[in-house]
Formats: sequence, C-alpha cells, structure tokens
Amino acid sequence: MELTVTQENLARALTAVGRVASTKTQLPILSNILLRTDKNRLLIAATNLEIATTQYIGAKVVKPGAITIPARLVSEFISNLPSGSVDLKVTNDNLHIKSGNYSSIINGVIADDFPELPTINESSSIRYSVKTEDFKQAVSQTIITASNDSTRPVLTGVYWHSHEGQLVLAATDGYRLSERQLVATTSEVSAIIPTQTLQEVMRTITDDGEEVDILFDETQVRFRINEAEIISRLIDGNFPDYRQLIPKKSDTSITIAKPEFVRIVKIAGLFARESGGSINLTADEDNKNLSIHSIASQLGENTSEATVVVKGSGQITLNSRYLTEALSVIEGDEIEFSFSGKISPCIIKSTDKNTNYYHIIMPLKS
Amino acid sequence: MHHALWQSVLGEIELSVSHATFTTWFKNTELVDQNESGVVIAVPNIFAKKQFEIKFNDQIKGVLAKNGVTPKQITYTIITNGKKTRVSRETTPSSILADDLLPTSLHTGSTSTRNTQTAQVGGLNPRYTFDNFIVGSSNDLAYTASQAIAANPGVKYNPLYLYGGVGLGKTHLMQAIGNEIVKNQPDTRVVYISSETFVNEFLDHIRFKKKGFSDKYRNVDVLIVDDMQFIAGKEKTQEEFFHTFNHLHQNNKQIIISSDKPPKSIPTLTERLRSRFEMGMTIDVQMPDFETRCAILKAKASLSGVELGQETVEYLANNIKTNVRELEGALNQLLAYAEMRGISPDISTAEGLLGNVRHSRPQHITSKQIIERTAKHFQLQVDEVCGSKRDKHIVVPRQIAMYLLRSELHLSFPKIAGELGRKDHTTAIHSVEKIEKAIKLDFLIREQVASIREKLYA
Repeated sequence: MELTVTQENLARALTAVGRVASTKTQLPILSNILLRTDKNRLLIAATNLEIATTQYIGAKVVKPGAITIPARLVSEFISNLPSGSVDLKVTNDNLHIKSGNYSSIINGVIADDFPELPTINESSSIRYSVKTEDFKQAVSQTIITASNDSTRPVLTGVYWHSHEGQLVLAATDGYRLSERQLVATTSEVSAIIPTQTLQEVMRTITDDGEEVDILFDETQVRFRINEAEIISRLIDGNFPDYRQLIPKKSDTSITIAKPEFVRIVKIAGLFARESGGSINLTADEDNKNLSIHSIASQLGENTSEATVVVKGSGQITLNSRYLTEALSVIEGDEIEFSFSGKISPCIIKSTDKNTNYYHIIMPLKS
Repeated sequence: MHHALWQSVLGEIELSVSHATFTTWFKNTELVDQNESGVVIAVPNIFAKKQFEIKFNDQIKGVLAKNGVTPKQITYTIITNGKKTRVSRETTPSSILADDLLPTSLHTGSTSTRNTQTAQVGGLNPRYTFDNFIVGSSNDLAYTASQAIAANPGVKYNPLYLYGGVGLGKTHLMQAIGNEIVKNQPDTRVVYISSETFVNEFLDHIRFKKKGFSDKYRNVDVLIVDDMQFIAGKEKTQEEFFHTFNHLHQNNKQIIISSDKPPKSIPTLTERLRSRFEMGMTIDVQMPDFETRCAILKAKASLSGVELGQETVEYLANNIKTNVRELEGALNQLLAYAEMRGISPDISTAEGLLGNVRHSRPQHITSKQIIERTAKHFQLQVDEVCGSKRDKHIVVPRQIAMYLLRSELHLSFPKIAGELGRKDHTTAIHSVEKIEKAIKLDFLIREQVASIREKLYA
C-alpha cells in the first residue's frame, strides 16, 4: 500500500474512528485501526464488535493495499503533525509515515486478521433521511432518559419505532420517559438502538445542514453522514408498552416561562442535594402562584416562587435533577407542566402547538 | 445430534486458531439445522455473521467434511438467547414498566441496578407450596400465619419470624409464602435469600465498591431471609440489614425471617435488630408429633406412587423423631431399596434396612447417664439433683431428669422416684406432667430438654 493524503483529513478521520477502537477486549486486533485503499479513497475503520465505524477520505493512491495499526499511537502522532500532505507506505507489516521533516515507522498487523466490517443490504432495509438538525435534537432529547442499568438491556437504548404514521423515538429508565416524533413514515419499524451508538453518531456529525441517512434491517442499523458510516447491532428484546403510562388528563396545569422555571428549579435544587434532589412544587390557582420548596436539614431551606397561569391547584414532589435535565432539552420559551396529585406522573412539554416532544417524570414519594 | 457434530467441529477449530479468536467468534455459536440443502449455523451478532461468511467459511466446510458432512451450502443466522432475533412489534405486558414507574420504587431518586424480571421469582423454588406442606399441631400456628401473609403481604404479621430446629419446614413455609404471592400477583417482587448471601454480597459491595447494593433489597415487595442466625456477630452487615429492614417496613413491605433460635437467644444480635425482629409475629416451628410424622410419610410415599402399610409408617415415625428431613431420607432409602430388590416396602424390610438410620433410644443409655447429663447441663452435682434440697434451681433440673427418664427409658413412676432418691411415686408423676406441660409453653424448657437429649445420643 502506498498513498498520499492530507494531514487534516487523516487526523480528523483517525480521531473519529479511534474512539471506537477499544483496548478492553479479548481480541488484541480490535485496538487497531484498519487502513485500506478503496479505489481513490482511503478507508479508515475500527470496531468493538458492537459498533463499526468507517470514514472515507480522498487519497492519491499509488499502490492499493491494507494494514492495521494501533489506534492511539497513530492518531496522536498524526494530529501532532503540521498540516500538509502525509505519505503512507506499507512494507512488510510496518507502516511508514512521512510528512515534511517528520517520519516514523509503526509496527502493524496484517489486515486479514481484522474482523470483516458488517454490511447492510440496502434493498431489503428501511431507509430514512433526516435533517442533521432534527436528528441531533431528537436524539439529545431522548437519550437523557435512557437507562444505564445493564441488567435491563432493553432500557439502555432509544426505541425507534413507527406509530400512527410517524417515526417515534422513546426512552425510559423507569423513573422518567421521553418521546419525540421525528419524521413521517409509511414503513413499520421497531428497533432499540444502543445509547453508545447514538452518542457516537452525534459526535461524528460535524456541520449542520447535512442529512443523516439511516438504514434499518432486522438486526442492525447503519447511519451515514457524508463520508462516515456507523453500523451497529440493535438491542434484542421488547421495549415496554410505555404509552399506557402517559396520563390522559391532568388535574393541575401550569404555564410558565422557561427561563424562570429553570431558575427556580435550579435554586431549589441547591437545597435538595442531601435529600436526593427532592423538591416540592405547589401550584395555587387562586393566587396564580407556583412555589418550590426544598429543605436541607443541615444547611437550611429555600422557597422560590413565580407568578404563573394555573389551572387547578395541586402539589407534587420531584427530583430536581430530572426536572432540570428535562427543561434543558425542551425547545420553546414557554413550558406547560401538568400533573394529577402526588403519585401520578407529570408531563412537561413546550406550549408550542407544533411541539412533537414530551417528557414524563415520576414523582418522588413524599 | 447437531450439538455433538458442532462440538467436534469446534474442538478441531479451537486447535487451529488463537484462543482469543476462538472465544471471540466461536463462543455462543451452534449448529441449528442440517438437511438436504445445507447446514445452518447460529451466530450471536452481525459481526460474527460477517466474519463467518468471509473468514471462517472454508475452514468450517473443511472440518465438517472431516466429520463426514459435506453440505451444499452453509448459512449463518443471527440468534440471541436461543430466539430468532426480531425486535417484535408487540410489546411486553405493561406490568414491567408500570411497576417500575411506581412512585414508591422511586424514593432513591437515583438510577438503581435492579432486575425486576429475575427478582420476581428470585430464589424461589416452585416445588415448595402450601399444598404439599403437612400441617400438624406442631406447626399449625406457623402455617396459618404464613397463609395470612400470603393472602395479604405486608398487612398482618410484619415481620414474620419463624424459628426452630433443622429440617422442620421453615424453609418450606417461607418458600410457599413466596410462591403463593407470586402466583396470586405475578407483578410482586419477591426475593428469597439466605442471610449468608446477604453477608457475601455486602462484603463484595465493600470490597469491590460495587454500586447499587443498598437499592437491591430495598426495591422488593417481599423479602424472605433464611437462616438469619448467620448474620450474628457481623456488625456492619447487621447495620446494613437494619436499614434495609426499616426501609421495607416503613413502606409496608413484607419481611419474613427464619432462624434456628428466637431473636432473644441469638447472642450477638444488636439490640435494635432484635427488637425489630420481635415486633411482628414470632412463631416457633416444633418437632412434628407422631401423627404428623405419619401423615408426612404417607404423603411422601403417595407422591412416589407407593402405598405404605400402616405398620411400616408407624415403625418409621416411631424410630425417627428428630427431623423431617431425616424422615424423608429414611423413606427414600426404604423405597429405593425395595424397588431395587423388587420387594415390597413392608415393615420387615424397613426393620432390616433402618438399623443404620434409627437413632432413637439406643439400649446403652442408662438412667444414670440421664441424671448425670441433666446435672451437668445445669452445672449441678448428681448429689444435688438426687438430694432433698428444694431450691428452684435444683427442682427444675430434677423434674427434667424425671421427665427424660420417663420419655427416653419408659421407666415406671416408682422406679423413676427411686432413681432420684424419692420415696413417693406421685412426685415423679407430678414432675413428668409438669415438664410435659412446660415444654409446650416455655421455649426455654424445650430448648434445655432438647439439648440434653441431643447430648445423650451424641
């Protein structure tokens, strides 16, 4: 293999791919990155056998070939080089890298030992093209409520499924839940994508304005953003039927400006650290008032109030961290916050009529 | 068939590839189908599928050929956990998540590591049910209380504390409660553990700084802890258990505990745990009486499809008195022996066979030994026991000695009186009756009698 690429492209691709190469594996070659010529491009790939990520960069190929090299060393070396062109050449199992005054030889392993990268059959799969902006928003809105409890694998991913003509993303950790509609769909989809995969895709997305191409088949999913490709396995299992948990109506409903809500929740949260984030919200219809109360037995206590529109008085105790996180991903300037008594879940969403996202939090027992 | 073939293929491949390669790719694979058109091999994921298709296909073909199988084609299919993968459209019963979102389970406010599905039947053995528990006067209180709890967990008798010697059915009862609750309300999270498991997990938690320990047992609806005595002396574990106990009790979750002693008699149990164990219902499970032992034997025999004669049953019940487990053992031995020899399990077979199982009343015990043992147990001199002093601390041991002479050696009352230097046999009658009564009412006396008896036959 002999070729020339630019340092910028190579450094970017190696960093993106290198995150997936893992050192904690039985198979030592998985901590390597695969470099392989593909016509007049260079393919750079890594896998941890759950995710495989691939980047293509333009190259001037003199002689085709392939090699694998230790991920950390090569990406750190390349990113420290000055910009300009980089010559790569393989002799035996070594990769010679030369750029201006810098040259090094890195011991590699032959590419035949590297696991085959999975492919997806495009004709038999379901395809979506989603605007990067929408994709990023939808994923970040749902991923925060996914569980990291590995004993319940189905909850450690985001559930992508079709429902009433929409592709819907949902995630829950058993204490909170979020749901977001992404695009219209005519196909039937039902797939649980691991959070790690989605985080990887989010990191891979560089500029806005691109599209994310998503391809589902029975057991895997592929994301393609320009020249980058991420293929991942799906989580096996059934996602719980969460829709029945969504309250149909609520006794208390509050409309409040988001910045104000964020502020009083954050302040109340300061005094709730020792009680597991527990803050008490009281809505008073007559005084058009929302008051949040929290007590830290050692430190003191806090009551914050805001003038709001209230329909039906009520009280609820929530975890301030969950509430803060929910508010941080809801778009719009005004929030509709509704609940029924102290034990049913509360719903938080934007008052924007076009909103396609809602967030549910279970109350704490007070 | 398929399995054996695949094992031999794997065996051969293991020799030709590196260990890491083998464990990474070939673990969790299986040959699932073999027919005219070829063989189908199950692999765990897409990565393995691709790898097999491209890298290992020729090798597998070669090894299969060596084993006499030359398939036209090898197909690889992804199978996880023995099921064909498909994220199915239909969803699971609502209960799992609905249950999860119960506010009470939320109290910690942090993510916890619990596994509802396994916890639901955690540690329960479905063999133990109320149906196959045999009730007699020795255990009917425990049985009734257990049934009340199974019907309404957390409402009555919380905690339930069962104690008694080995092999008397404590575990059976506790498991039966758990099984009954799960049967009636499948969503209930029932966890059965031995206190030893609790101790070990707690130690792991400290040693490896594992997270989620405190949540693990606080998110259950029914916690059953067997052999609580092993927690004695383990200060930190007791403290942890104390908090778990409080948390569950406050949330009206049922707690069931068993031990070989009442809380009072576990020496190194901290005061606060002791008082908590005693705040619910404390019941002792006693040795089954003769009739119950007979009933147990008959029930067990009919479970094995054998009808035992009344004589045989009585013979067994008479000879094995100490615990139910031994009783079952003797019965099983008898049945197996009879079946192997092709003879009927009647009394003569039992007599011939049980020579080595019978424990009760060996001939070599003498009245002298009984008196000595009793005296020793109460740290008295034989002279004192047989003497004429009527201090309370001597009278009770004297009466116990009389009781034992009667129950173990079946001596006549005048003889008993004579052994202890009494002239009047009515004293002996009175003493024996008094102890018989006391055994039923007073745990302390019962313990003492049992312990002396145990030492006699040791």
